[in-house]
This record gives sequence, C-alpha cells and structure tokens, in this order.
Amino acid sequence: MICDDDIAILEMVEIIMEDTSFVVSTEVDSRKLVKRLHEENIELLLLDLWMPVLSGEDILKTIRTDPALNKLKVMVMSAGRDAQTVAMDAGANNFIAKPFDIEDLIEQLEHL
Amino acid sequence: MKTDQFPINGNEHASFNLLKSALDSSITGIIITDNNLPDNPIIYCNKAFEKLSGYHRSELIGRNCRFLQGRERDQKARKDLREAISKGESIVTEIRNYKRNGELFWNELHISPIKDDAGIVSHFVGVQNDVTRRKNAEENLIFERNAVEQKVKARTEELKANQEYLDGIVQTVRQGLLVLDPQLNVISANDFFFRTFKVENRDTIGKKLYKLGNGQWDIVGLKVLLEQLLPTNNPVLDFEVEHDFPHIGKKLMLLNAHRIELNGKYKDRILLAIEDITEYRAAEVRKDEFLSVSSHELKTPLTTIKGYYQTLNKLIGKDLSPKALNIFEKTGQQIERLQRIISDLLDMSRIETGNLELHKESLDFDQLISEVVTESRNLFPSHQILVQGKLGKTVLGDESQLVQVLHNLISNAIKYSPNEQKISIHLSEVSNFAKLSVTDYGLGIAMEDQKRIFDRFYRASDIQKHFPGMGVGLYISEQIILHHGGTLWVDSEPGKGATFSFTLPIATRKVNHE
Repeated sequence: MICDDDIAILEMVEIIMEDTSFVVSTEVDSRKLVKRLHEENIELLLLDLWMPVLSGEDILKTIRTDPALNKLKVMVMSAGRDAQTVAMDAGANNFIAKPFDIEDLIEQLEHL
Repeated sequence: MKTDQFPINGNEHASFNLLKSALDSSITGIIITDNNLPDNPIIYCNKAFEKLSGYHRSELIGRNCRFLQGRERDQKARKDLREAISKGESIVTEIRNYKRNGELFWNELHISPIKDDAGIVSHFVGVQNDVTRRKNAEENLIFERNAVEQKVKARTEELKANQEYLDGIVQTVRQGLLVLDPQLNVISANDFFFRTFKVENRDTIGKKLYKLGNGQWDIVGLKVLLEQLLPTNNPVLDFEVEHDFPHIGKKLMLLNAHRIELNGKYKDRILLAIEDITEYRAAEVRKDEFLSVSSHELKTPLTTIKGYYQTLNKLIGKDLSPKALNIFEKTGQQIERLQRIISDLLDMSRIETGNLELHKESLDFDQLISEVVTESRNLFPSHQILVQGKLGKTVLGDESQLVQVLHNLISNAIKYSPNEQKISIHLSEVSNFAKLSVTDYGLGIAMEDQKRIFDRFYRASDIQKHFPGMGVGLYISEQIILHHGGTLWVDSEPGKGATFSFTLPIATRKVNHE
C-alpha cells in the first residue's frame, strides 16, 4: 500500500513497481487508510509524512498501538525537515528521503 | 594541549606536562607559530592568550596572527614585524590588536625565532601583554599636558557644542535611548523612547531603570551586566527582553549598552539603546517557515520527475542514439543540480532554526578529500586541481556535510577564477586540528566584503552581476564547520585571488570498526 496526498507521486511509484514482485494498491486520502489496512491484508506500507488533516505521524502512532496491525511493516518517505527523526520516533521500520533513487526505494522495500 | 602534538619521549611526559601547566598558569599570553607551514600559522596558544584576545583556541589555531589587527593593516609596527619575521630576528614592539568582540587592545609583543639544528627558523614564539591601560595612561598624560591650558579656554564652548551635537543625534535616531548614571538612574531619554513605550518625561527621568513601567527591566542578568559596565568597560550586547509592557503589550526588545565616550575619554555614564525587534523576529520566523515549506513543495514534484526519469532510463536508455543519450544524461545532471539547490535552501532553514543535525563518524580525511577532488576534476575540466599535503589521521564529522563544504569551496574557487587554469588545495596538521585551504588565483575579495560573504544571501556587489548563485554556500559552509568545532575564514587580496581555510578537530580516539 502506498499512501501520499500527492497523486503524481502515487502514480509514479505505482508505475515503477509494475516490474517488481510487489502487488500495489494506493490511497490518496489518509483518513481512509487505516480502514483499508484492516480490510485488505496489507503487508507493507509506504507512507508520506506531511499530509493534510491526518498526518503520516498520526497514522504511524495509530498503527503501532493497533494489535491487529502489529505485523505491518512501514517505510516512510518524506521531503520534510527532520522527517527521519519524526518517522523513526513514531515507529517506522525505515525511512527514505524524497527525492529518492527508484533503485534505492525498491531495494529498501525488498529488505524490510 | 595534547602531549602528542610535540615529539617527546614517554619519560619526558612529566616535565612536559609541568611545562604545559606552567604556560597555562602564566598571566602573559604566549603563542607559537610554525614557520615551516604556509602563512606561518598559530599552532599553540596558552590560556592567557585566549583570555587576552577573547578568541577560543579553536578559532586561533591555524590562522596567521595578522587577523588580530583587523582592518588596521598599515600600522608601522606591522612593517617592523614583517621585516623581523622574514629575517628570522627577534623583535619587541607595541601593536594595536582587536579582541573577538571588536575591542581595541595594545599588545606589547616580544617575538623570538626558534631555530632547528640546521639554523633554519622553524617556529616563532610570541609573548604578549595587554598594555592598553598603560598605553591609555601614557596617551592621556600627553594629551592632558598639552591640552590643559587650551582646554580651560575652550571648555565651556566645546561642552555646549558637544551637547547640541549629541542632542541632535540622540533625537534623530530611530531607537529608544536612555542615559544612565552609575546607580542606573535615568538622566535623560530621547523622544523615540517616549514614543515607543508611550510614556512621559515624569514617568522616566530621575527614576531607577528597573523601576520603570511594570518592572520590565528588573531582570537579574541585565542588572548585573549594567552594574559591571562602568567598572569593567564591557558593553552589554544584544540582550533580549520579551515582556508584556504597559500600554504597548507583549514585545521583544533588543538592548545594547555602552559607556559614553567623549573626546576619547570615558564618562561615568551609560548609554542604553532599546530597539523593538518584535516584527523583525516574527518576519524571521515566517521566512524560515517559508523556506522549509517551499523546499518541501519543490521536492515533491521533483520526486516524481526523478522517478519517471530513472524509469525511462531503464526502459529506453540502452536504445538511444548518441545525441539523444547525451541530452538524456544532461537532463539527469540538471535534475541533480536542482535537487542540490533545493537542499541548500532546506539546510539554511535548518541552520536558522538551530535544527542542523550532525551524524558524526570517524572519517579518513585524506580519502574524503581525494574522492571530492576526483569528482571535481570530472565536473570542472577547465581547471587543474593541485593537492598538497596529507593528514594521515581521522576527523570526527558528518561526511555528507563536509563533502558539501569541500564542494562549495572548490566550486567557488573555480567559479571566481574564470581566466585561470588551476586552483590549489593544501592539507596540513596544525596542533590538534586538521587544516584545509583552497586557493584560487582569480578575482579576490575586497576587504569590506570579506566578513560579509559569510552572511546568508550576501553576494559581493560587483560580482553579483556576473556570476550565478544564491549567496548561501559560504553561509552554510561556515555553519557546518562551526557545528564541527572548527573555524572557516578567508584571506584575500583583490586581483590576486583568495584562500578559504578551515580547521577541524582531529579525532582523539582510534577509528571504531563496528
């Protein structure tokens, strides 16, 4: 699952994932994300940090206190200031800074 | 000072340490310079010299002593010194130096050369005494003797003229000004003060400073500084007071106080300048937020562009014609360039808000430099990049940030010497610091610009029109070096080129192989 409020990034990541072994779904509205995570048996979440209304940090904290999602791996991607510290403190498994190299992104996702 | 800075045997440690303690307990400033290194840099200073000059050791090591003379480069004493040093002779002279806070002090300087076995001057030892008091006393004495008669005659008129002159200035400035006596009673205030605080003469004049208003200036720290001002002559600089003031509400005020000086003589009066910087500070905060948000907004579409570009490269990169491949590669380079510019903006907002994070590790400095130089040689085929010297030791630092500093200095050196074919990099060990200098032989930097080029967005005026750039590189570089416990500075003569040097503390522990 990829969640970002920027549709262009969602589309781009979806396209680069086509040639990998990942099966991808996307969500642009962070408020709908947690419900979908429960319903769709998601293993891996690539999450943006700065999103309107419900931020990636809030979502991470929700995930980390939800026993039903305790196996979910989360990688945060962000271009924000101090994003890495925020993400890791909130319980992310890994972090990648935007703009990233697509090779790095895929490699890091595969190693989660 | 670490004992490993000088070649000594184990059994000499005790006497060496004794010697070191003796030097540090001396009330006389002592420095040692290394005449074998370029520009004869300071390699040792004792505690008394730090106290005397106001500079921390880390800001002194590696530099040539001349920077202590500030802009007074044409003193006669300097010429004498230069002569003695070039001939390797000892000399005693009195020279006007400046402390870190800009305060003038008269330095009675004894310089002696140290010769090696071959009779070549390897070091100079400088023994320094602050003789400002004596000098001032001498000057005052001469002044008094010559002027007494004349003075009596002219005194009344002069005072009157001075008073009018001062009143003119005091009423014109756009800052609140108060004159205080030694007990911190307000003797006078300018109109701007009354307007700023919406108060009147009778609320102010004759009152104690810390009883004004609702006690806004009744701050222990401020009181101590002001009470010490007259006895010690130390000004109060940029003291910030945030307070809910009567009539005008919550404001941020910046206070500066100096002893009043008339005709070169100090009076027992304090001039306190008060500036409302509430709006200014709010604008600073807004600007930093803007920098942070805009760099985030710029990076978001760049993420998409970069992702698509790399995908396209994978899909069709191999099938392109040479011309298309060339265009494709250039596009990639410009994407990287755009990313660097945006990173600079973000770095700057981080520095501004004190959020610059260092991820320090032990670094092989020689290797780091060699990698950056190799990369620079590919990027700038126009110039030959000469590298001299080796460190052979590790420094503790953030690799990507130090690489950024090196890139900045090298690309600046090349950018500002367009008609030259080479730049030089010199690496050396100075006391427990690594010192790196990047020299170009290009345009050079005017004296008045040399301090300000480290300000953000500052670009030397005549240069601005001809060269691209945002004026943030040196600002970021200096901040990075400061955060590493080092110092970055420039030596330059217009028309002859510039040398940018920085120091970094050498790691004391061995590299941890984890």
